Amino acid sequence: MLTDSGLAGKVVLVTGGSRGIGRAVVETFAAEGADVTFLFRDNKAAADEVVAAGRAAGRPIAAEQVDVRDAQACAEAVERLAERCGRIDVLVNNAGLIRDSLLGHLGEDDVRMVLETNVGGVFNVTRAVVMHMIARRAGKIINISSVAGERGGQGQTNYAASKGAINAFTRALAVELAPRRITVNAVAPGVIDTDMTRAIREGASDEVKARILLRRFGTAAEVAYAVWFLASRYADYITGEVLHVDGGFKME
Amino acid sequence: MTTSEITREEIQAVYPKAAKIMADALGCDVEQVRLDASLIEDLGAESIDFLDFVFGLERAFKVKIPRGKIMEDARGDLPEAEFEEKGHLTERGLQRLRAYLSEVPADRFRSPMRVADIPKLFTPETFCKLVARGLRATKADA
Repeated sequence: MLTDSGLAGKVVLVTGGSRGIGRAVVETFAAEGADVTFLFRDNKAAADEVVAAGRAAGRPIAAEQVDVRDAQACAEAVERLAERCGRIDVLVNNAGLIRDSLLGHLGEDDVRMVLETNVGGVFNVTRAVVMHMIARRAGKIINISSVAGERGGQGQTNYAASKGAINAFTRALAVELAPRRITVNAVAPGVIDTDMTRAIREGASDEVKARILLRRFGTAAEVAYAVWFLASRYADYITGEVLHVDGGFKME
Repeated sequence: MTTSEITREEIQAVYPKAAKIMADALGCDVEQVRLDASLIEDLGAESIDFLDFVFGLERAFKVKIPRGKIMEDARGDLPEAEFEEKGHLTERGLQRLRAYLSEVPADRFRSPMRVADIPKLFTPETFCKLVARGLRATKADA
C-alpha cells in the first residue's frame, strides 16, 4: 500500500504559482504538508488569493514577486528561501507564457518574451537552486514542458521552440546531476483548462478536442498529480523523463 | 596587503575547514585532502565536485570565488592572446601560471601545456589560497 509520498515537510519552490497549473501544483504540495513557496510575476491579487486560501486551510504558503527573466532577482529569492528553510528539496519550473502567431506575424518581442521566460527563466532559477541541491546530494527538479515541445502546432514556433528546449535541458541536466542523486524530469501537458490556453480552447474547441484521444481538455489538477508523483519518493528511480499528460493528444 | 603572497599562516588558518568541505564534495576521507594533492589526478575530482566545494567554501567562509578566477588571476595583465594560443599556454603564459600556482610542484607543469589540462594542477592549497585572498578582501572592505 502506497500512502506516504515523502513530501510532508519538504521545501518546495514553484515558479509561476499564482494561477493555472502552477497554482494547482502549489496547492497539491501544500495539501501534502510540504513547505511551499511560489514565485509570481505580476498578478498580486491572484497570488494573495493562493496564500490566503492556504492559510484558511491551515497550510502556510509563501509567495514572492519575481520575474524569472531577472537572473539577479531569482538568485536573491532562492538565497532567501534557502536561508529561511535551510534547504530546497523540490523545484518546479512552471512559469511560462504563450504568444501564439504565425511566424511571419511574430514580433521580435513575442519571440524574446517567450524564450526569455520559458527557457531563460528556467536557467535563472535552476542555476541558483541546484547549488543547494548539489551541496546536500538530494533534490528533485520538475520542469513543466508542453505537448508543443514535441509535436507541431500552428502559430507556436516560439512556444514550441521554448518547450523543446526544456525537454533537452531536462535530459542534459539529468545527466549532469545524477552523480549527486538529483533527479530532473519534465511534465508535458496537452491542452489544459487554464487562463493561458483560453484562446486555443475557445477558438477551435471541437477541432482541438477531436485530436485528443480522451476527447476533453485536461485540468490543472491532473497535471499537478503528475508533478506530485515525480517529486514523491515513488519516483526516486526516474530521471531524464518527459511525462506526457495530454489525454493522448495528436497534432497535425 | 591584498596583493602580497598569501602566507603559510593564512593557509593553515583555513585549511582544516576547507579540507572538510572538499572531502565532503569528493566523497573521500579528510586525511586524503593533503594540501599538495592533485584534486583531479589524486582525488578523482570531476567538474561538478569543483562546483560543489567552491559553493561550500563560499558559504562557509563568506567569500566570493568567481568562476574562472584562477585563470584570470594567473593571466593578470597579460593580454589573452599572449597568455594562450590555440588551446595551449604560451611560454609567458606558462611562466605566469607557474608563478601564480606557486604551491604546485614544478614537475607537474608540462610544456607545452594545454589550457584544458590546467585544472589537473589544482590542489587543495590552490583553493585555500583563494579563500585566504577572499578573506583579505573582506577585511579590506570592512
